[in-house]
Amino acid sequence: MISLYVILLPVLMALLAILARGSAPLVRGLAFLGGIGTFALALFLAGSEGFNAAWLPGIGVNFALDATGAGPVLVLVAALVMIPTLLVAASRVEKGAAGFVALLLLAQAGLNGIFLSKDLIVFYIFWEATLIPGLLLLGIYGGDRRRQATLKYLVYAVAGSFLMLISILALKALSGAASFHITELMIATPALSAATQTWLFVGMAVGMMVKLPLWPLHSWLIDLNEQNHPSGAADVLGSLYKVGAFGFFAWALPLLPAGAERVAPYLLALAAVTAVYGALAAISQDHLKRFLAYGSLSHMGIIGVGLFGLHLAGLSGAIYFLAAQMLSTGGLFLVAGMLYHRRRSFSVKDYGGLAKSAPAFAAVSLFLIFAYIGVPGLSNFPGEFMALLGAFQTSPWPAAFATLAVIAAGVYGVNLFQRLFQGTTTVPTTDLSPLELYVLVPFVAGVLWLGISPAPQLRQIEQQASLVTLQLERVVEAQPGVPAVTLAELPGGER
Amino acid sequence: MNDLVQLASLAPLLALAGAIINGLFGRSLRGNAPGVIASLAVAAGFVLSLIAFLGVRAGGAVRVRFGDFLVAGDLNIGLGFHFDQLSVLMMLIITGVGLLIHIYSIGYMQGDDGFSRYFAQLNLFVAAMLVLVMADSFPLMFVGWEGVGVCSFLLIGFWYKDLKNASAGRKAFIVNRVGDFGFLLAMFLTFKAFGTLDIQAVNAAAPSFAYGAAILTGIGLLYLLAAAGKSAQLPLHTWLPDAMAGPTPVSALIHAATMVTAGVYLIARTGGIFANAPSAAATVVWVAVLTALMAAIVAIGQTDIKKILAWSTISQVGFMVAAVGAGAYWAGIFHVLTHAFFKALLFLGAGSVIHALGGEQDVRKMGGLGRKMRVTGTTSLIATLAIAGVPFLSGYFSKDAILGALLTSSPLGNYGGQILFALLMVTAGITAFYMFRWYYLVFAGEPRSSAEYERAHESPAVMTVPLGILAVGSVLIGYVGLPAFLAPNAIQEWLAPVMAHVDFDHLNTSAEWMLLLGSVLVAAVGLGLGYWVYVIGSGELAKRIGNTPLANASRGAFGIDRLYRGLFTEPGEGLAEGVASLDRDVVDRGLTGVSGAVPLLGRLLVLLQSGYVRAYAFAMVLGVLALAVVAALIGVLA
Repeated sequence: MISLYVILLPVLMALLAILARGSAPLVRGLAFLGGIGTFALALFLAGSEGFNAAWLPGIGVNFALDATGAGPVLVLVAALVMIPTLLVAASRVEKGAAGFVALLLLAQAGLNGIFLSKDLIVFYIFWEATLIPGLLLLGIYGGDRRRQATLKYLVYAVAGSFLMLISILALKALSGAASFHITELMIATPALSAATQTWLFVGMAVGMMVKLPLWPLHSWLIDLNEQNHPSGAADVLGSLYKVGAFGFFAWALPLLPAGAERVAPYLLALAAVTAVYGALAAISQDHLKRFLAYGSLSHMGIIGVGLFGLHLAGLSGAIYFLAAQMLSTGGLFLVAGMLYHRRRSFSVKDYGGLAKSAPAFAAVSLFLIFAYIGVPGLSNFPGEFMALLGAFQTSPWPAAFATLAVIAAGVYGVNLFQRLFQGTTTVPTTDLSPLELYVLVPFVAGVLWLGISPAPQLRQIEQQASLVTLQLERVVEAQPGVPAVTLAELPGGER
Repeated sequence: MNDLVQLASLAPLLALAGAIINGLFGRSLRGNAPGVIASLAVAAGFVLSLIAFLGVRAGGAVRVRFGDFLVAGDLNIGLGFHFDQLSVLMMLIITGVGLLIHIYSIGYMQGDDGFSRYFAQLNLFVAAMLVLVMADSFPLMFVGWEGVGVCSFLLIGFWYKDLKNASAGRKAFIVNRVGDFGFLLAMFLTFKAFGTLDIQAVNAAAPSFAYGAAILTGIGLLYLLAAAGKSAQLPLHTWLPDAMAGPTPVSALIHAATMVTAGVYLIARTGGIFANAPSAAATVVWVAVLTALMAAIVAIGQTDIKKILAWSTISQVGFMVAAVGAGAYWAGIFHVLTHAFFKALLFLGAGSVIHALGGEQDVRKMGGLGRKMRVTGTTSLIATLAIAGVPFLSGYFSKDAILGALLTSSPLGNYGGQILFALLMVTAGITAFYMFRWYYLVFAGEPRSSAEYERAHESPAVMTVPLGILAVGSVLIGYVGLPAFLAPNAIQEWLAPVMAHVDFDHLNTSAEWMLLLGSVLVAAVGLGLGYWVYVIGSGELAKRIGNTPLANASRGAFGIDRLYRGLFTEPGEGLAEGVASLDRDVVDRGLTGVSGAVPLLGRLLVLLQSGYVRAYAFAMVLGVLALAVVAALIGVLA
């Protein structure tokens, strides 16, 4: 039941926050409570009993949630990141903080739904519904060019989702599966002909590529981050809501293995290009948030490389990286917000030499930057390493090309630190305030946790990653019309 | 004994604890406390390393595994340490020389704003370096590998207010990342070939491949790229001279004694691969010998007291890399050991001079300082003679072992072993020459700047005592590796059980004597030329030689930095700019245009543009509902 509560609690707190919108302290308290409460639930999520209720039995839709595999890991890391983010939203948003907090909480509920649902329709509804708070945060609280950015975000998302939905509906209709539940689908859909699978896979892939995002469907991301609220809190949500990779991992790849096998090489090439392209573009950015947007585009490329290499270690690594990047990317967006709070500027050119007057700020930022560029021992390394290693086993050249991003990351990482914090002091700056310190501590702790002790989470993710490789292995063996897997063979197979 | 050896796993943790204490609370500690805490942490590490050394001597290698690190199917990488003859020797060097440099730093960094920050970073470095040598798997080794790179970046840019220092740190980090790229690919390929990333398992399995198999050669060349980055070998050597921007004790510890030898360690550690990939091993030697020769020539033309030593380090690390490439793993590690003493001593001596002169680093403004700085001068002279290869001092024995290895290595014979031997012999002579120049210009002759000379004074005991200890080591440490035909070679025997086997031709005793005499002769020629040019020729001769093209190339370090700027840095920046503007002007606009051209979306666009933003959300909800209805219909029909 915890899998249901991690969705309901943030919704409840969001409603309370709106009711309490007159009182800033109350909103702050509710934000904190919502963050901590969800995190506490998430701690006990892994391995807890799932939830299943018939919803639209006529068409085979069940409200099915499940706490096995990668989902609980993603929910937990997202919940850790949300605590400080909610705090920032509640205290750094001047007008309409209650609404901001409520939207963040609603988005968190939606994200948890995406990560935990086992019914494809339920998944899709959460996938789409989570877009709304993100859009509203940008549209209401964004910068001067927010309308344009919102529109672009919307067009990309809707266009992608449209094809995805058609594929989803066709999936059940064509395969004759008994319901939209993952286990039923996994039995039925691999029996589809390779050509059918390919078309369905392409349909799903378009929607997921937009949200991953992969080059050249990434433009919305850059504008979104640039125009979001200057506190950076909405951008943190953005870094959590890069769910495209999870869509591939949990649905498209295991359901349509023959299609995946045919299309993956092209996606792998795109992902490798994305990894290097994003890192190169990040080097010459002067706008802090655009910089982070491109850097994380590069991360997404590496995640894509891990996924489309279709190797167990790469798949696990990609999803681990997806969870881990929430920490350093999220933390750095809040750092950018804190810099803006001091100087009202996102231009790197307006900073320099801050380490002298703000040593703690510099130290924490440098720590997060090192995590961001994948220094081993910190959070991004295990996933990045395994994603590239896994892909290299099946497709050495694209993986080696994507590894070039590591060099570029070194360049943009230390460049950024140097331009912000080193050199002669421009104007003295205050060091971290107590609030800012509390906000950044969870990020530092999380970066160390995921960097030093990845094995327990990797095991959880592997449970689900092995489903993908299992399905792929059976592509060769499967005869048309014969189920590729039987229910009993699937981990957590009984509904 | 096993348990005691395992206890040494605490060594990096203690250094890490020291770093954390100084990092968090250093600013509120008084006086020398940060330095004392940091030194104690390293001292404890030294004791633990000594225990591990004795334990391994008594009972052989010990492995300890703490838990899992990276797991997925066949991939099973643990967090574990491997204590064997090689790793405990490296631990002793790191903590032993590291301790002396920590103590020295208490004097050198006295009064600096960042006193506690300095010791936090230095301790963090020791922790990372220990992890590098103790790791039992490549990924864990890579944790230490990048960890030392991070610390190097921090400490080179320690005085970050001057952007030049910060940029030197950045350059080191970026060039090292090129090497790390090689390390990563090497690991990927290793896993593809061996199905494991456990170092011992890889070494054990390497001989099961065909001798000279292409995949082993590929792996070897990638590890060479990694080693070239960390150990400042061609073509990735350019960061090390700039790294001298850091405090001098940092140059001694990181950029001379320990971190830059990590590449040597890496190749020795993966000896199983190189011993079975002769062409990769020969490439290693060629790269190393050319690096050694090039850097020795450049060292002659430098005028900065530390830069001369930096180029000398590049050259000397070239000697070590050449040895491990030739398969004489013990000789490479032996030179790591002797070099750790005399090069750390040279840097600390230089630091003592810079300290005394209030920051002056130009050797042209020095001279005669030995008279006012007796301890610094005498110890620096000992180190100079040791590195020059004067008989009976440590550098003589280790250098001779390397030269002999190049001459006799069987696999190298097919790849120009004798030419390599001759080139390295010449390099040894040049070494004696540029070191004579260094010593003479700084400590001997007449003072060339009276102002600087007046200012000079001997450094405090906290600095001179470490100099003395290192000087004793520079004299004596070579006796652990006496030529095997004369006396038992302790270090070769010590390392033999853990080193890959490579065949060497046997030299008869007279040839061995010829070799020994040859090294003496070369050192004598180098020193003699130095005496002739700088003492007898008293500068006039030096000026005349200084106008030759080779001298100009030496001063300009063969223009490689400038070449790279034109070849990589500027095109790289251009590429980054290009990608950014491509993204802004083409990809972004193009796709927005395409999406606008789709009639349905076009209308949606107009519709949505007219409304308030909340309307978008409403439309989304409607959309989802509509889709649900469609889904219901299809579900019913199907």
